[in-house]
Amino acid sequence: MSTAESTTSPNPGLRDRVGTVFTVRPLTVGLALFWVWVLARWTTDFVLAGVFGLDRGTPFIPAAPFLTTADTVGSLAASLGAVGAPLVWFAETLRFAADATAYLPAMAHGIWTTVLLTVFSVCFGFALALPLSVVRVYGGRWARWLALSYTELIRGTPLLAQLFVLYFATSLTQVLRGVPGIGVGFIPAQAFWVAVISFTLNSAAYQSEYLRASLESVDGGQLTAARAIGLSKLEGIRYVVVPQGLRLALPSWTNELVYLIKYSSLASFITVQELYGRTSTIANETYQYTELFVLVAILYLALVVSASALMDRVESHTATAGVGHTRQ
Amino acid sequence: MTQPLLSIDDLHKSYGSEEVLEGVGLEMDQGDVTVLIGPSGSGKSTLLRCVNRLTEINSGQIALDGQDVTGANTDVNELRKQVGMVFQDFNLFAHLTALENVTLGPKKVLGMDAADAEEAGRTHLEQVGLLEQADSYPAELSGGQKQRVGIARALAMDPELLLFDEPTSALDPELVGEVVEVMRDLAAEGITMLVVSHEMDFARSAASDIVFLDDGEIVEHGPPEQLFQNPTAERTEQFLSRLHAHEETA
Repeated sequence: MSTAESTTSPNPGLRDRVGTVFTVRPLTVGLALFWVWVLARWTTDFVLAGVFGLDRGTPFIPAAPFLTTADTVGSLAASLGAVGAPLVWFAETLRFAADATAYLPAMAHGIWTTVLLTVFSVCFGFALALPLSVVRVYGGRWARWLALSYTELIRGTPLLAQLFVLYFATSLTQVLRGVPGIGVGFIPAQAFWVAVISFTLNSAAYQSEYLRASLESVDGGQLTAARAIGLSKLEGIRYVVVPQGLRLALPSWTNELVYLIKYSSLASFITVQELYGRTSTIANETYQYTELFVLVAILYLALVVSASALMDRVESHTATAGVGHTRQ
Repeated sequence: MTQPLLSIDDLHKSYGSEEVLEGVGLEMDQGDVTVLIGPSGSGKSTLLRCVNRLTEINSGQIALDGQDVTGANTDVNELRKQVGMVFQDFNLFAHLTALENVTLGPKKVLGMDAADAEEAGRTHLEQVGLLEQADSYPAELSGGQKQRVGIARALAMDPELLLFDEPTSALDPELVGEVVEVMRDLAAEGITMLVVSHEMDFARSAASDIVFLDDGEIVEHGPPEQLFQNPTAERTEQFLSRLHAHEETA
């Protein structure tokens, strides 16, 4: 809405921003490559393989070039003796890269599950957090107390414990198993949904705290003015306070999203084969723990950096003069 | 006998043990411009806020067009459609453009459709001389411009009565003029206004009545020439001379 003048005005800050975009370019290229690979993997394995009857998970990258190079480097290192030690290490890395070509398709499936887990949980969590935060700020005494108790209970106990309670100590799994469609085709099985529910309940508590702080920082005069033109309290909150609060909450909300991407790995403890789960299964079979955990760390990093970059775009897209911090 | 547009009778308001209004009575006819003056803490703003029930009264009567304002069954949102308010700190909706600030009430409260509300909104912005700033956000406007948007926002609800709570006291001196000018135009158009202000220029030229409030009660009430030239109460005289002294040094 207000971006027109900020793009046309010859302000020096804009040039600086263009400058920073240039400096982060390698990162942009890296992320683009990552997502091209991920999307190609998903399309091939989830759609094309079914249509054309191909094998799922056939590696895009052949292992052979890595192996031959590794052999060449290895024999060169052997001829150099002790001086060739770094080359030995390099050859080992190349051998792992050859193995990794076989692991990566499975890890791409893990990324799919991780993304779904995170997106569902953060969205459902937000839907719960918004009313919770409004109650915290504007609710009556009992409603406020209830919302506060929920938040403190969730924030005061470990996420893993919450997950285990839902999975092992309640009949949620049985209930979900009875829901038609669960575990059929593309729809993940019940353990995934237990994880979504658990992360949703957890994330709602954290998100409601971020939102509460933002709603409280909206000037009180805003609601007074809304009431003065005849809006009810709820309408004033909805049309005036919440839109401003959400913009203020964006930076901390991004933080929550980033946390959830990583915390979603706890779902592997209740059998969900998300990114971490799949990786640790492979590691248990191949004993290549160090290499695989370095690889999975890189993939998580790519997911997290992508999420931050996306939220950065959202932030600058929704930036409004006078609401929250405007960066130069 | 015509009914006054606004009538306030024996109004009492206290915060805790501190009595802010001690039996205030006031009547306004359609088209009246009443300016409330008085030292700070005299209860001017409280009186104003009682009229649109941003503040609840302890006892007394307020009637708008013969309708009871303070009754338990009175729909406050309905009341506030008829009583516009302009704030000292503008309180413009920070996330909305000037035009959106003006159209929010008509759209959400009066149920106007977006196109009609926008057309009317542009007319009101034009009325305060800000049509060109329609798409600016409050943070991009000067204080004087903000207050004019605040006035347009109140006008857009087509109220029977406009309340002004020290509309110029948060402004830099050089910006006061543009706001006073808009208010003077509104007064000339016959809009009923209850104004808390020490803008003597406005009071002298546009007010039909001046009310001097001190310590929660009305000390003196009369047309501007009488009250400014020949105040009857000693307290009024003292207050006015302090005000003049301040005006001359400013």
